[in-house]
Amino acid sequence: MASTPPFARVLVANRGEIAIRVMRACRELGISPIGVHSDADVDALHVRAADHSERIGPPSAAESYLSIDAIIDAARRSGAEAIHPGYGFLSENAGFASAVEAAGLAFIGPPASALEALGNKLAARRSAAAAGVPIVPGTTVALEEDTSAVAEIGLPVMLKAAAGGGGRGMRRVDRLEDLAEAMAAARREAAAAFGDGTIYVERLVSPARHVEVQLLGDRHGGLAVLGERDCSVQRRHQKLVEESPSPAIDEEAREALFDSARRVAGTVDFHNAATVEFLVDEDRNHYFLEMNTRLQVEHGVTELVTGLDLVAWQIRVAAGERLPSDVLEAPRHGHAIEVRIYAEDPYDGFRPTTGRVTAWRMPDGPGVRVDAGMEADTDLRTEYDPLLAKLMVHADDRAAAVARLRRALDETLIGGLQTDAGFLRWLVDEPSFTAGDYDTGFIGRAWGDGPALIPEERTLVATAAVAARMAAPTGPTSSEVTRPAGSDWGRLARREALRR
Amino acid sequence: MSEFEVRIGDEIATPGDWRLEWDDPDHGLARLLGDGRAVPVIVEGSGSEWFVTLHGRRIPVSVRTWRERLMAEAERAATVHSGPVAVKATLPGLVVAVVVAVGDEVEEGAPLLTIEAMKMQNEVRAPRAGRVIEVSVASGVAVATGAALLKLE
Repeated sequence: MASTPPFARVLVANRGEIAIRVMRACRELGISPIGVHSDADVDALHVRAADHSERIGPPSAAESYLSIDAIIDAARRSGAEAIHPGYGFLSENAGFASAVEAAGLAFIGPPASALEALGNKLAARRSAAAAGVPIVPGTTVALEEDTSAVAEIGLPVMLKAAAGGGGRGMRRVDRLEDLAEAMAAARREAAAAFGDGTIYVERLVSPARHVEVQLLGDRHGGLAVLGERDCSVQRRHQKLVEESPSPAIDEEAREALFDSARRVAGTVDFHNAATVEFLVDEDRNHYFLEMNTRLQVEHGVTELVTGLDLVAWQIRVAAGERLPSDVLEAPRHGHAIEVRIYAEDPYDGFRPTTGRVTAWRMPDGPGVRVDAGMEADTDLRTEYDPLLAKLMVHADDRAAAVARLRRALDETLIGGLQTDAGFLRWLVDEPSFTAGDYDTGFIGRAWGDGPALIPEERTLVATAAVAARMAAPTGPTSSEVTRPAGSDWGRLARREALRR
Repeated sequence: MSEFEVRIGDEIATPGDWRLEWDDPDHGLARLLGDGRAVPVIVEGSGSEWFVTLHGRRIPVSVRTWRERLMAEAERAATVHSGPVAVKATLPGLVVAVVVAVGDEVEEGAPLLTIEAMKMQNEVRAPRAGRVIEVSVASGVAVATGAALLKLE
């Protein structure tokens, strides 16, 4: 790594696992990481990972992690020279990137002009098509009262938010009579999430794989295409599992995908890190979806197969460094898989769960990486994202990576609330996943609300619960436990029951 | 152990030939030993209500003595003919849509309203069939966990 740090201090304008991840890169580069926190996060792990943390407001994200003024003030107060936005929050906000630059600080991300141009998914569709990149058939203008385009495209279709991302404001429509209701719901969700209810329509590509290409560029025209990630295991259009390479594409399709990714990046003034997302159909045709001008949640998958530290390179190119040839032509080794551990209940439609994380034991050992922003005995904050941890594995080939993931999930123990860990443990034994044969509709078809417990699981659960009750200091006395059915107590209770 | 009645969901379950060994009792971390294997579990709870986390899944289990069973049955019998049922928020968030009004007859499982929390829209459904007799919230209202949303009769 560079002997002279690219910056003396970097402010990390985020929280949770990604703030800690960025701070680790800072430390390795000899940079002093500065944190920010809302009143809800005074004792958070990311605050303790920083050299110093600035308060930016009350618990509500809108008044803290989304407050441009508060964050720029914090950077000024702490003497930071640059701001890393992480993902989510302000990471793709062109106004924020401009404000950072206007304050004389470096924004560690693509230029504001690229954020602006690619932030509107409709405009991005138009420029990708103009650059010769295939897009999903559909409208390139907003869907208004005149919905004749929907019938022309042919059902089923997907409604999407122009300002969208992360699966919000998306609705599948199978029948024309459902269109009005779906449009209203998509508009409402988009307006609430992005402050912009504009929607457009795309033909539903089904079955489809969701495959994305990682880009890293410097300010001198250097552009590295760092392989793809397959993110097809999704619920509510949000990713749960990502892997690289994609088991669904061959070399020819991969090269075509990389070429399209380069073309999309060429439509804007691009440097730093970004991801170009595509749908890939059964015949391995690909269609541009969107370009995310930020570090992705799943960037670690690419780090494992390339051996590169993407966050460190984001910081270095933001300081003006050139990407060397070993980054521009980085070879990829083996197979990496990431699973996201969320506080949500896969046995109840993946609804968010709340409460206190009691036990927290993460896996370790060869080829295992955990990026987490959680620890034992911590109340979950409902103001923020329910992502608890990202578990990543790397091995020589996919079969070995799946075996390693299974082992790592068996070492993972989280208490206090339901997480999707049970779903993930099921997934690694599911034949279509182990065969690499899955698409974006896979969870909906194969999971439902999860399998019933098998007899051995019922026996194990019963054994553990009874043993724990017997051992519990507050448990019943032996006389109560063994009280015979014919005792006065029993008769009294039965009589009480019958009387009601 | 036969003095306990163990239920997972509605079904009776029977303990087997496994031994529980605690690793970190304060956090419920333990292993079940048997059949030549060691299976990690988390066991949490007290009294008759327990949760066992196995293979990543957190499973509610009731472990009841004779007496607790009778008390529970008595309690259940008492609530069958109870009056209105209050529907409460199970998570904090923002009410973004209310799709029923006072006087509506709803089936069990029918959508009542939508709460946005953690960036997701969560539908609140009717716990049982009934008539809506009171709606305490409107779209745009922030609710805390346990807040009364509406009443069914």
